Amino acid sequence: MEHIVGIGDMKVCNQVGDTIVAPSIGSGIGLVVYDPEARVGGILHYILTDSSIDEIKAKNQPLMFADTGIPTLFKQAYLLGAEKTRFRVFVAGGAQIINQERKFNIGQRNYTALTQILTRENVAIWKQAVGGNFNRTARIDINTGHISLKTSGQGEVKL
Amino acid sequence: MINFQEMAKEIKNLTPIPAVTMSLLRVVDDPNKTMDDVTNIIQYDPAITADVLRSANSAYFGLKYPAETISDAATMLGTDRLVELVLLKVASKIIQGPLGGYGMHEGALWQHSVSSAIIAKQLAVQLGLSHSCSIFTAALLKDIGKTVMDKYVKNAYEKIYNLVISENFSFMEAEKKVIGVDHAEVGGMMAQIWKFSPKMVMIINNHHLSREDMVQDKDTIIVYIADCICMMMGMGVGADGMAYRFHHQAIEKIGISADDILTIIANATPQMKEVAKLLKMV
Repeated sequence: MEHIVGIGDMKVCNQVGDTIVAPSIGSGIGLVVYDPEARVGGILHYILTDSSIDEIKAKNQPLMFADTGIPTLFKQAYLLGAEKTRFRVFVAGGAQIINQERKFNIGQRNYTALTQILTRENVAIWKQAVGGNFNRTARIDINTGHISLKTSGQGEVKL
Repeated sequence: MINFQEMAKEIKNLTPIPAVTMSLLRVVDDPNKTMDDVTNIIQYDPAITADVLRSANSAYFGLKYPAETISDAATMLGTDRLVELVLLKVASKIIQGPLGGYGMHEGALWQHSVSSAIIAKQLAVQLGLSHSCSIFTAALLKDIGKTVMDKYVKNAYEKIYNLVISENFSFMEAEKKVIGVDHAEVGGMMAQIWKFSPKMVMIINNHHLSREDMVQDKDTIIVYIADCICMMMGMGVGADGMAYRFHHQAIEKIGISADDILTIIANATPQMKEVAKLLKMV
C-alpha cells in the first residue's frame, strides 16, 4: 500500500510492503525518518516553523508546524518500536522562489527550525536535498528503507 | 522561435469559452446586482445549468433539500458560491488535462488553479476589495496560456531547462528566450480573443509581475501572491517548480508582510483538503 502525505500531514508505518510518499514539497520540509532495526519509517511534511502564530491551529493542525510536528513524528515512530538513536534521517524541501530573500524566505526559515530541533534532539541528518527553486517528492520503502527523491524537472533517483 | 501567426490561428480555433462566462463576469462584481440577474444568465445555458445542479446536489455541498432549479441553488448556496461553481465548471473543461511539456500530470494545473483562486479570493476579502469574484476568476484562469504553450515547451524543454539551471533565467524568461513568447503572454492573447475585460487580460498577462509598472496594481499583486503561495505549498506544480521571480517590494506595497504570508499559508493549508474534495466534485 502507498500512503500519501499531504501538506501539514504525516504518515508513520511498520507494514513491510508499504511505501510512504510526500509529493511536491516546496518551501515546506519533508522529514523522512527510518529505523532499520524496527523497520519503522515515517514522513512529516510541515510548512511553517512556529505554532505560536495561531494557538487554535497549533491544537487542531500540529503537523503544519515544525515545533509541534517533529515531536509528533518522533513519538509516533517510538510507539511502533523505533528508537531515535537508530534513526536514518533524510530531509527534502526548504526551497524558494528566485529572489525570495530575508524574512520572506520561508523555505530557509523552515530548514533552520529543523536543524535547531534536530540538534536539540541529538539527531543527525543522513542526507538532504534542500533549497534551490525546485519542488521535490520523497518516498520511502518500509521493507528496505530505501529512500528515493524526485526533483521537479528531473527524474527519480534512489539515494 | 515559433510562428506567431500559427499560434494565433491555433488559439482562435480553440473551443470558445461559453458565452455565459462573459455575461456572468460582467455582473458578478456589480454591487447592485440581484440574485435574478445571476440566475437569468446561468439558466440561459441548459448544459451548464444541468451540470451545476448535479454538483450543487452532491454530498460536497450538503444541501438539506435538492436544488431543482438554478434559483433554488442560488438561494441555498448563495449567489457568489453559485457563480464560483459555474466558473469552476467552465475552467475545468479547459485546464483539466495533463501537460507533458510542463511535467504536469492530469489534474495538476487544475489543482494549482483552483488553489490559487481560493487563496486570491480570501486575500481580496481580507483586503476589503469588493470585486473578489473577478479576482477569483483571474487567479483561476491565469495559467491558461500553458495549455497552448505545452507542446512548444515540450519541444524546447532541454534548452529552457538549461537556461533555468545554468543561466539563472526564470522559467518564463527562458520560455520567452527560446520560444519567443511566454505562457502569461499567450494566456493574455487567449483572454483577449475570448473577449475578457481589459482588466482580466492585463492580470493574466502580468500575473508574474514581469512588467515593472504592474507592481502598482493591487488586483494583479493579489493574483501573483496566490500563485507564489501555491508554489511554496507545492499545489499542482510541474517541471517549472519554483523557478519564477519573487517581488517582495510589490507585496509590501499592498501592505502584506512576511508574517502575513505565514498567516495566509496557515489559513490555506487546512483549506487544501477541501480543495481536494472540490476537485473530485467538479
